[in-house]
Amino acid sequence: MTDVRQSGEAATALSCGRQPADTITKLNNKPRSGDSRLDLLSPLRGSVGIGDALSHGLRRGLCAIAASRLYVGSRSNSSRVKLAFVVFLLSLISQTGYAEAADFVSDIQPFFAKYCARCHNTKKQEGNFRLDTLARDFTDEGIAQRWAEVVFRMNSGEMPPRDEPQPQPDELGRVVDWLSARISEGRAVRMARRGPVAHYRLSREEYAHTVYDLLGVHFDVNAPGAFNDDPRWHGFERIGSLLSLSPSHVDRYLQAAETVITRAFPDVAPKAIKGRRDDGGMAGIPTEGGPYRAIYWPGVEGNHIHMSSGGTPVKVRIKLSGLQPQGGRAPHLTVWDFVQKKSIFDEDIVAPENKPVVVEFTTTTSSFQLLNAVTGFPGNAHTRSNTARRLVSSRQARIGHPAGYKLFDDEGRPLFPLLLVDSVEWESVPVSDQDRQKREGLFPTSITRNAKAPADRGHMEELLGDCRKSLQRFAGRAWRRPVTGDEVERYVAIVKDELDAGEPFGSAYRSALVGVLVSKNFYYIVEGSAEKPRDQLNDWELASRLSYFLWSSLPDEELLASARDGSLHRPERLKAQLQRMLDDQRIGRFTESFPRQWLQLHRVGMFPPDPGLYPNYDRWLEKSMVLETQAYFAEVFSKNLPLRQILQSDWTMVNPRLASFYQLPQLNSSGFQKVTLRPEDHRGGLLTQAAILSLTSDGTRHRPVHRGVWVSEAIFGRTPPSPPPNVEPLEPTPSNKPKATIRDQLEAHATHATCASCHRKIDPLGFAFDNYDAIGSWRTTERVTSGQGENPPVVASGVLPDGRPFNGPDEFTRLLAQDVDRFAEAFIEQLATYALRRVMTIDDREQIKLIAAECRRNNYQLRNVIENLVTSELFLMR
Amino acid sequence: MFVRGLSLFFLLAAFAESILAQDSADYVPEPDQFAPIAKARYLSGELVYIDPVNRRGAIRMHDNYWSGPAHYFALLPYATVRYNGAYAELRDLPLGTVVHGYFFLPPRGEEATIPPLPDEHKKFAIPHNHAISLEDDFSFYQRQGQWWKVVSIDVENEKINVEPSGEKTKDGINTPYTFDIDARTRIWKDRRLSDLADIKTGTIVQLNLTWATNWGDKEFGIGDIWLDDVSRKFATEMQRRRHLRYERDHWAPGWIDEVEPFDFGGGIVTLTLFDVDRELIEDLRRDKDERIAVAVAEKTRRTWIHRSDRKFAKLVEWKEIKDPPVGSSGVQLRLKFVELLSGYKPGRCVRVKAENWKWVSVPPEERITSREEQELGAKMVLPF
Repeated sequence: MTDVRQSGEAATALSCGRQPADTITKLNNKPRSGDSRLDLLSPLRGSVGIGDALSHGLRRGLCAIAASRLYVGSRSNSSRVKLAFVVFLLSLISQTGYAEAADFVSDIQPFFAKYCARCHNTKKQEGNFRLDTLARDFTDEGIAQRWAEVVFRMNSGEMPPRDEPQPQPDELGRVVDWLSARISEGRAVRMARRGPVAHYRLSREEYAHTVYDLLGVHFDVNAPGAFNDDPRWHGFERIGSLLSLSPSHVDRYLQAAETVITRAFPDVAPKAIKGRRDDGGMAGIPTEGGPYRAIYWPGVEGNHIHMSSGGTPVKVRIKLSGLQPQGGRAPHLTVWDFVQKKSIFDEDIVAPENKPVVVEFTTTTSSFQLLNAVTGFPGNAHTRSNTARRLVSSRQARIGHPAGYKLFDDEGRPLFPLLLVDSVEWESVPVSDQDRQKREGLFPTSITRNAKAPADRGHMEELLGDCRKSLQRFAGRAWRRPVTGDEVERYVAIVKDELDAGEPFGSAYRSALVGVLVSKNFYYIVEGSAEKPRDQLNDWELASRLSYFLWSSLPDEELLASARDGSLHRPERLKAQLQRMLDDQRIGRFTESFPRQWLQLHRVGMFPPDPGLYPNYDRWLEKSMVLETQAYFAEVFSKNLPLRQILQSDWTMVNPRLASFYQLPQLNSSGFQKVTLRPEDHRGGLLTQAAILSLTSDGTRHRPVHRGVWVSEAIFGRTPPSPPPNVEPLEPTPSNKPKATIRDQLEAHATHATCASCHRKIDPLGFAFDNYDAIGSWRTTERVTSGQGENPPVVASGVLPDGRPFNGPDEFTRLLAQDVDRFAEAFIEQLATYALRRVMTIDDREQIKLIAAECRRNNYQLRNVIENLVTSELFLMR
Repeated sequence: MFVRGLSLFFLLAAFAESILAQDSADYVPEPDQFAPIAKARYLSGELVYIDPVNRRGAIRMHDNYWSGPAHYFALLPYATVRYNGAYAELRDLPLGTVVHGYFFLPPRGEEATIPPLPDEHKKFAIPHNHAISLEDDFSFYQRQGQWWKVVSIDVENEKINVEPSGEKTKDGINTPYTFDIDARTRIWKDRRLSDLADIKTGTIVQLNLTWATNWGDKEFGIGDIWLDDVSRKFATEMQRRRHLRYERDHWAPGWIDEVEPFDFGGGIVTLTLFDVDRELIEDLRRDKDERIAVAVAEKTRRTWIHRSDRKFAKLVEWKEIKDPPVGSSGVQLRLKFVELLSGYKPGRCVRVKAENWKWVSVPPEERITSREEQELGAKMVLPF
């Protein structure tokens, strides 16, 4: 999140605001300079921060009242008084408990000295954590976050370690309560430090959805040179504090806006195009048994097709059959934009030779070619050049050159996944009624697009008046809030300036429209007010938060209407709008985007697997892996299944490619479909999906530690500390030694005291999945290239940090599913991070716990989890 | 009663013979099976035309020597040609050599290989135009154990009278006969050319017949005559060497019996080698643990660029059958391929290379270079 204390039109680099506490903790564990510190062994030496002062009960109570005033700044007087009273009472209550009774020097410090200092001191910092210098300024988010980590570790029984002296429960309780109270006290001050206005820049994906929903224009944000990659925090690409703005962004926003406006309101309607390519290349020439069909064997690249569409949407239809060899993979159609070097359409095609199907898609690309993107076809160039490229029927006695590769067996059955393409047709997509409706009223009908400014001043004012009305409407929609007259006048002035410069009226008006889209009010979601600081969102902000959460786009008219009449924040209205949004087809953007960000699916294929070691791995498998996880999440969402099924299930979503990869029964149709899993399939739940298993691997092998870290972060919501610098890499097994698994090597590695404390907690989470190789294939032995003897068997047993043993991934996921409360809390935290576009801090933890408690009543059904989040205080607060 | 019984016996025998003859006359070979030579029709004549690349030719028939046109024929893929007592290619037989062949009707589906004769010659057409074997006199008679004994020689009139010696052949000449012998006749003795003076009455000889100066009804001249074993063995050996060289360059012919494809392109191919000199078979047997290259061929045994248009295989099984049909070597190989070619189909001809044979490029006029050439080569082009 980026805080801006002074609002203004000038959109400048805004990344210098407050760093989220979690970012500090998770990305940089070093204490910041200038923090007040506490040396446990030399108490009160050096400077003492506000936290020390707060240890005095009276001041604590006063501070709580003061903080509560700040906290409820925008509420009604009555609720403000009530909340202040509650906070005050809470502070009084806390004075009667351990927190009050305990004194740091007499009670807390000896505890740390006795149980913690031996491993977290000047000489030794287990887990890269030093307690003796950790400051007590609990108003500082970074410090408070670290103390909260201490509390968590002690509460969960992780600390002190089992092989160290253990404190008595009341000893532990006293310290935990004291720290919790200090953290809680600091919260009000920390919250008060938030700026009055927060700006969240739209991610690339959100920009694309927004301009489409605003004007019905598809803008390819991923095209080369369009937009920069969005920076990510733990996979989330919508974290405000990271989405800064540089001059290059502004330049690209300007270019994008010009493109979008030109396409929405072109000078001249784009020329309609229509074309057809009979892919057999001999259409119309009668042949025995019918026309020729092009054969796309694996790896075949079709001829280039140039549509000359000029970037306007074109609907492409491809008529083809897809022949799948018995027990083999389905052929895979990729429509490849050879200019931008990217796929614009992908689908496994399963359709009998005599029953071709027509697939269609819309694209703004101009040129493409068809590919059968399946790997593994023999690679001899000479034989490939002889191999048949067209046929009439697989029953033909002779298909192509006899010295080409054999494509069919003697009964005409395919030996390879084959595409038989009949034709490719393309046609301009006319502007739909829906898209036309979006543009209605945004371009004054009185303006002739090429007309010069009228000489008659009266007429000129009339036309500018029309512009003013349209601009007001457009800016209101684009900025997702009411627009003041002064704001609109700035854009009317642009029209005037352009007319004065001799531009035609249409062009001048389009410049103003472009101006609206390059305003920070468009590409920033703005929350808060500089003039009147408040903690709660207003209804306009709430509408945007809701729509960007669920649709990754601006609010629709109905949602804006609820904001306009001020009713959106009412629970019943909010719930009604939420249900409507959850049922809208745009929710697909959420079910696609959230799991991708939460689970860090962008890492799939980040290190392309070595083709020598994983010859079956290809681009479509990689894409299918990601699509499986997204389809799985979408299924959990659409059926409103409990979160437990995210961890453990007897079903998954696969397409023919994945079915083949997982060695499931062959599918008879294309696309993703729900399949029931058998125990021998060794799949079920998110954690055994190939995408999850491969995203932590490097190009050659699986990495159990990285898997463990991923499980810890994504499933438990805990980020382990970063490894110490200069850790020695694992050495390959010497050639004269028996072959050793990665696990064997890691266990040897973790015997070092500096490594063991962390690896003891992380590694078992990864070892549980050692039965899956680097790309997620099931195995019972681990392929080891160096060393002597047979490949060693996989050992996937271990002990969870809480002491529960497991043997293999099935038992592991079962144990996780038994502990669904913990997962649910972590999941809600991730969901809130996505929705609120900021990292959750210790200050949000209480709210998250409340939401989780509410969700438990419905067995954590996904839609109910979303509803509980949206109607929570957390969601409604800035 | 006995007479009646004897009559019935002869009647039945005659009937059986007619059935057999009928059967032989009408037998249509299957395109992917070795045809039984017992059902072939014997024809002989003077080789007057060859298309050596496509293994086709024409003979002037002895039975219609005067008025009929040449008899155009194609060799079946597994047909054997012998010359001077050794395996040969059609190209090894000099034009003018008298040959003995066994012929079938065209195999099913290959009726168009030999185009029909012009209308004025149709009445002379012999439908049996696919040969399973073709041999010169030397090979034909010696293979069946028949030699010739010189009865007399008339140097002045350039005539030699011989009579059969040893096992008499069923077909061909098996009675005393007088041939022309003159200055063009090559007389072989020991490992050199000799002259008429060396021909002694009572000498056991082999000979190759050819055109007779006073050509008439079944009159022949002698092209070559071998007077002793040394000369005959030398002639056979020289032809054998030529045959071995040719097959090692062009690879051993065979055809595919079965294809068992694997996933994604590989498979097991079972093939039978055609009848070739056993030394070639031994080459393959010796190299059987090495990689074996298999190129696709047409029924004419022509290949494309066989050194490129081939795939390698590993031997899975080597199997030999006793008393193989004519045309078959009796050796069957099961080969495992990682990649299969489109032309690996049952009934399809292939050429097989042993690992240690040299890689040779076949000249362009011998190989198939285009689809058009492939289609053109499927039919015989008559020289008129």
